[in-house]
Amino acid sequence: MAERSPVGGGGAARFVGASVQRGEDLRLLRGQGRYVDDVRLPGMLHAAFVRSPLAHARVVGVVTEAARRARGVVAVFDGEEIARLARPRASIPGGTDDGGPPVYTLLATDKVRLVGDPVALVVAESRYLAEDACELVEVRYEALPAVVSAEQALDPKSPPIFEDLGGNVIYGPTTKAYGDLAGTFARADLVVQAKISQHRQQNVPMEGRGIVASFDPETGELLVHAATQGVNTTRAALAAQLGLAAEKVRVLAGDIGGSFGLKFGISREEVACAAASRALGRPVRWIEDRGENLTVSGQAREESFEVEAAVTREGEILGMRVQMVVDAGAYPGLAPMVVDSVREMIPGPYRLQALEFSATVAVTNKASYVAYRGPWAAETFVRERMVDLVATELGLDPLEVRLRNVARRGEPPLRMVTGPPLAGITARESLERMAELIDLPEFRRRQAAARREGRYLGVGFATYLEPAPGPRSPDSPPDPGELEHQRMRLEADGTLSVFTAQMPHGQGHETTLAQIAADQFGVDWEQVRVVVGDSSLSPAGFGTGGSRFATMAGGATLHAARELRSKVLEVAAQLLDTGPERLAIVGGLVVGEGAPAGGLQLAELAAAAERGLLPVGTDSRLEAEVTFDGGESGWSGGTHCALVEVDCDTGRVRVERYLVVEDCGEMINPAIVEGQVRGGVAQGLGAVLLERSAYDPDGQYLSGSFMDYLLPTATDVPHIEIEHLETVRLDPDVNFRGVGEGGMIVAPPTLCNAIADALAPLGARITEQHLPPSRLLELIGTIGG
Amino acid sequence: MNEPPEPISPYEAIPIRLRVNGELRSGAVEPRRTLADFLREELSLTGTHLGCEHGVCGACTVLVDGEPARSCLLLAVQVNGAEVRTIEGLAVAGELSPLQSAMRDQHGFQCGFCTPGFLMQIQALLEERRALSEAEVREELSGNLCRCTGYESIVRGVMAALGSGADG
Ligand code: FES
Ligand code: FES
Repeated sequence: MAERSPVGGGGAARFVGASVQRGEDLRLLRGQGRYVDDVRLPGMLHAAFVRSPLAHARVVGVVTEAARRARGVVAVFDGEEIARLARPRASIPGGTDDGGPPVYTLLATDKVRLVGDPVALVVAESRYLAEDACELVEVRYEALPAVVSAEQALDPKSPPIFEDLGGNVIYGPTTKAYGDLAGTFARADLVVQAKISQHRQQNVPMEGRGIVASFDPETGELLVHAATQGVNTTRAALAAQLGLAAEKVRVLAGDIGGSFGLKFGISREEVACAAASRALGRPVRWIEDRGENLTVSGQAREESFEVEAAVTREGEILGMRVQMVVDAGAYPGLAPMVVDSVREMIPGPYRLQALEFSATVAVTNKASYVAYRGPWAAETFVRERMVDLVATELGLDPLEVRLRNVARRGEPPLRMVTGPPLAGITARESLERMAELIDLPEFRRRQAAARREGRYLGVGFATYLEPAPGPRSPDSPPDPGELEHQRMRLEADGTLSVFTAQMPHGQGHETTLAQIAADQFGVDWEQVRVVVGDSSLSPAGFGTGGSRFATMAGGATLHAARELRSKVLEVAAQLLDTGPERLAIVGGLVVGEGAPAGGLQLAELAAAAERGLLPVGTDSRLEAEVTFDGGESGWSGGTHCALVEVDCDTGRVRVERYLVVEDCGEMINPAIVEGQVRGGVAQGLGAVLLERSAYDPDGQYLSGSFMDYLLPTATDVPHIEIEHLETVRLDPDVNFRGVGEGGMIVAPPTLCNAIADALAPLGARITEQHLPPSRLLELIGTIGG
Repeated sequence: MNEPPEPISPYEAIPIRLRVNGELRSGAVEPRRTLADFLREELSLTGTHLGCEHGVCGACTVLVDGEPARSCLLLAVQVNGAEVRTIEGLAVAGELSPLQSAMRDQHGFQCGFCTPGFLMQIQALLEERRALSEAEVREELSGNLCRCTGYESIVRGVMAALGSGADG
């Protein structure tokens, strides 16, 4: 495995930089993981929801009598009954769902606003019986015309989905401008225009949402087993919505079967189950099925853009004017926050001099907008597609246009025109390296020869920056909610416990934090226990998301381990009657001058501290607590490239090679980094070639099973070649950077650019992201579009 | 002509006996109970996961008389008398099996939710003792969905397990 230089005070790195095996796998590979669906509590009941078959309708009546009398049924709650027990509040930091307008309820009362909107909750002795009884709940609807596109929603004549919103716009239009836009357009040789859009797609973790809520009427405490990306966030949201003191709520999370942004905070259904448990005084479990997951758990990305780029004949992109419209589905969520990120990030690594950006978020009768891996990814899609359209217009090679525009590290501009510093970017290196790896001139020769035989090969590049979490910005100090808090403790048996608010759901955090702590502290990584998933033990912090883990939790762990190590050495020095500077911790033993031959076991030391064998006045608590602000931090980023062949008879795309040159700083565990990259790329390829959350004109959902929502399989995802750059250290200590989202952010434009390049001689102009065979045949003109 | 038999109540429990991971197990199940639910709820073998309950994702794959089967589509009563193997039966005397070790070495999986289905599908493949190319392995795995990995690490794990000549 990779050899690494010393990383600082803890001596030579032994584990960081190595693809050590994951600790998690010992249980997961044996079938001994504990997911929310595996939790069994005495007296546990099972929930199922009655859901709307219509996209938009008034609820005229809900009749539950027959269901209440059905076999095994313990209770049936309609929307009004749940509304008396709990009400929706912001479930994610930054979410707009905070008290309204619009005002709405957890289960539908007056209206249903999408297919699958929950109308009633049945609680029974088994899930089978709960689902049986759902059939007996009678709901009378008065159908309303459905609003199924942003275009429809923005028409003032469209029927309002929320009456108190006064229309179907929930945010905007807002416009922000940066730099001298008029000047850049005046200096331009030409203006390139395009309408570019991303289609609706979704997270689809293999495990859906779920909760086991257990309210104890004696103590008034609510214990919740959840599938969540952050136990503290879920706890705060639950307490607020149920009107309980936060101290009365404890959230536990075990293994989580993927999320990709979906399982942040808590969903309406999950709160309703907790409310039911509170009302019944018994544990209530709800495990979402796949139909529910695809239909109502949330969807992402449906965004369209009108773009004008002011460019010179040489391919310099001077300024851009962008109008963004988001179709955010029915219930309020994250979209306005995502708009801010898209606007800020759209210049990417390029020297754009001016930008005008306006945005509108529309409400429609479709699934609500949720975060999905790289929620702001539209900025990369729009920019990178636009670069290629500019290149086509000017007759230049897209790679050349990128190299002409990409900022040089350390040279002005030192910031994006929207503000974020461009410190430490390696976009140029990644582009140059990619050009070498694929031998572009040779590819162009091969492409020309193939075209003469009627075969269509294409190459596509895309470059991105991933704010993971992004370089420290002098004018925007980190938000207190974004600080990373951590506790670390040396236990009596000599293990090192690391308490983190992060909530891994596939990323292997238990292993990577152990690697960092072990190196810094001087123990074996298997001696480190990473404690996650219990709000009663967790330090403050919102959880795992936004590619923050590597820098924030990695950095907090590094600093906590250093602090605890000095503390332990102080204590050891007291015990051994020597100076701490003469001692070190190596391989789990305190060694050095004054230490016994063979070293002092950490367990012995911890036991001595516990028994009070230390001089009076010594701080014998072998604990450290740190708060980390991210240090200098930095960008992750890189360039991806796809070489494809499009079969113009079938519309099939074959990915010949897919290459990644990426930079996430110092890698903690290369195998985990590569797993994140490949998983993200697979989702991006799926988005382009297969996946689409489709609705009909009445708002009926058409992708409610795995026969309709197609995920990539082992035969769809090619081998992905990865090369790592690790060029710049901005921080003296912490140069681990996040890598969770980049693959999914940049793979769609990479593949679309390659397909567009392949089809260039056929005159197909690609401005959308979903390119399954049927659509490609339309674009080529083989079939009518 | 015989009288038509009394219709069986859908709630009537039917006795079944089967061998699960080598152990004889018996139970009484409603006719509509799936094998997956029987394993997970009645036998507490929660290692088998449900990713779709409509036969596409493969997470629920177990071996029934040596053949991979989707336990979400089988009824428990259908496996009366059968030999069922699940992920919990793979480890040998508490130690990871060669397949499990190969997967751990290769960082095969991430969240672990698809893992039981893949492992049982691959286990059946290894027991066939066929030489397989990487493309053939991908083909064999194409009925199992994984949302985390992009499959490459899983394919590497299979190639390593095949290469070691282990039949699991
Ligand atoms: S759960 Fe059985 S195939 Fe998906
Ligand atoms: S490892 Fe998460 S679904 Fe496969």
